[in-house]
Amino acid sequence: MMSMLSSVFRSLFSRPDTVQYPAGPSTVPLGNRGKVVWDMEKCIYCRLCERNCPTKAIGTDKVGKTQSIARLRCIQCRTCVDICPTNAISMLTEHTKPSPHKEVHVYGKEMKQFEYRVERMGDWPPAKQEGKKLAAVEIKAEENGPA
Amino acid sequence: MPSTIIPFGPQHPTFLEPLNLRLRIEEERVVGADINIGYNHRGMEYALAQDFRRSFFLSERVCGICSFHHGVCYAQAMEDVYKIEVPLRAKLVRTIFMECQRLTSHLLAVGHIAETMGYEALFMKLFKEREQVMQLVNRVTGNRVHYSLNTVGGLRKDITYEQAKDVEDTITALEPQLLDIQKIVHTDRTFRKRLHGVGVLSKAMAETYCVVGPTARGSGLPHDIRLTGFAAYGVEGMKFEPCYYEEGDCHARTKVRIDECVQSADLIFQALELLRDGPFVNAVKTLPPSGEGWSRVEAPRGELFYHIRAQGAVSLDRVKIKTPAFVNIPAVAAMMGGAMVHDVAVIVVSVDPCICCTDR
Repeated sequence: MMSMLSSVFRSLFSRPDTVQYPAGPSTVPLGNRGKVVWDMEKCIYCRLCERNCPTKAIGTDKVGKTQSIARLRCIQCRTCVDICPTNAISMLTEHTKPSPHKEVHVYGKEMKQFEYRVERMGDWPPAKQEGKKLAAVEIKAEENGPA
Repeated sequence: MPSTIIPFGPQHPTFLEPLNLRLRIEEERVVGADINIGYNHRGMEYALAQDFRRSFFLSERVCGICSFHHGVCYAQAMEDVYKIEVPLRAKLVRTIFMECQRLTSHLLAVGHIAETMGYEALFMKLFKEREQVMQLVNRVTGNRVHYSLNTVGGLRKDITYEQAKDVEDTITALEPQLLDIQKIVHTDRTFRKRLHGVGVLSKAMAETYCVVGPTARGSGLPHDIRLTGFAAYGVEGMKFEPCYYEEGDCHARTKVRIDECVQSADLIFQALELLRDGPFVNAVKTLPPSGEGWSRVEAPRGELFYHIRAQGAVSLDRVKIKTPAFVNIPAVAAMMGGAMVHDVAVIVVSVDPCICCTDR
C-alpha cells in the first residue's frame, strides 16, 4: 500500500507522460518505418521490389514508367528499400495519412521527388465472376494493356 | 439445487479478444465451465505453408504481443530444415529482443490483471513503464510491434553500437521502476486480498493439464524452455533460474510474471555483455531441401513450438504451430471449480489468454 502511495504522489507532482498528439508532435522516433517513397529519377524499373515484396503491394510498369503501391497492403517491412540496386526507394519516418478509401499511390517519371498521384484501389473483395484480379495486379493490367 | 448456464463472452469488457465461456452456476458459485474457442481463426498454418520467403513476415503476425517469438521460432525451425548454424551475434541480438518483448508482454498481462480487478492506478503505472520499452524497440528496430529483425540464418539488419547502448541505457533507467512494481505486486494489500487463493491450480492438476509458462511456474512446476538453451540462453555467461511459486493461485501467477520482468532486464544486460562484433547472418540462397525441422521457444506465455516439413519447393508441405495459450486455456475450467462469479474474469485473465495465438 505504502509503495503504491509513494508512486502515486510521485506521479502527482511530475509532468504528464502522455503527449497531446494531434495538438502537439507525436513521439515517432527517427528510425521508425513509416512509409516507402520512390525517387523516380533513380528508378531503373528492374522489378526487384515488385518481385520481392512479401505482400505483393508494389506494381512496376516498365512501359508507362510508373511505380504504384497499394498503401493498405504495404506492411513497412523494408524489403524493397534494402533490395533496390539504385537506392531509388527510401523509408520515411511518418506514416501514411488516413483516408476513407483504399488508396494506391502512383509515382511517375515526370513527377518531383517523392511526389505521387492517388488512385483508388478496386472493389474489395475482388469480384471473381467478372474475371477481376487482385487490386495491385488489376492496376498493372490496366496500364500495361493485355499482356 | 438446479444449476443455471450463463454465457461469458465472446464480447466482454474484460477480454481483449473473443473467448466464450459457458458457466454453470449455482447461486453465486461456479460449478463448471465449458470453453469455446475459434472466433479468431484465420487459417494461418495453411497460409504460412504457401511461400517460405513470405512466411517469415506472416509468422510475426500470428500474434501481436509475442510476434518476435513467433518470428524467431519460425526462423529457427527453417534453420533446422536447412541444417545451418546461426552466428553468435545473431543469437544474442535475438535473445535481447525476445527479452524486450517478454517485458512488454508481461507488463501488459499484469496491467490487464490490475485493470480487471479495478486497480486503475497500477494499470496506468504499468503501461507508463511498458511504453518505455515500446519506444525503445521502435527506435532500434523501426516498429513497435512487428520488429521484422529476423531472417532465416540470422538477422536482416545488424544493430549498431549506439543502438546497443540505447538498449542498455533504457533498461538501466527502467530497472528501478520494475523493482518498484515488483514490490507493489508482492506486498500491496489490495493485490493480495483480491488475488490470494483465487483460481487455485494445484501442482497435480497443472501436470494433468500440461500447462506451460508462467501458469505452470505459478503452480510449482519449474518448467522453462530457456533452460534447454535455444538462441543464446545456453551460451557461457548467461545465467538464470526459473522463478516459480508453489501456491498455484492468481497471485502466484502474477508474481511469476513480474519477477520475470526483473529477470528479463538482467538477461538483457548479460546478453549485451557478451555482444561482440562479427557476422550477423549466415544467408541461405537456395530453396529449402526436403526434410523436417522443429523449434521450441519460451514465449511470454510458455512453450511455443513450430514444426515445418519442407518439400524442396517454394511452398512448404506443412507448418504446425503449437502455441502456449492453446494449452493453458483448458486449465481455466479446472481453476473455476468453486470460484465465485465475480472471480471468473480475474481467473481467465490470470492465465494471460492470447486468442490470436490459440485460434491461429
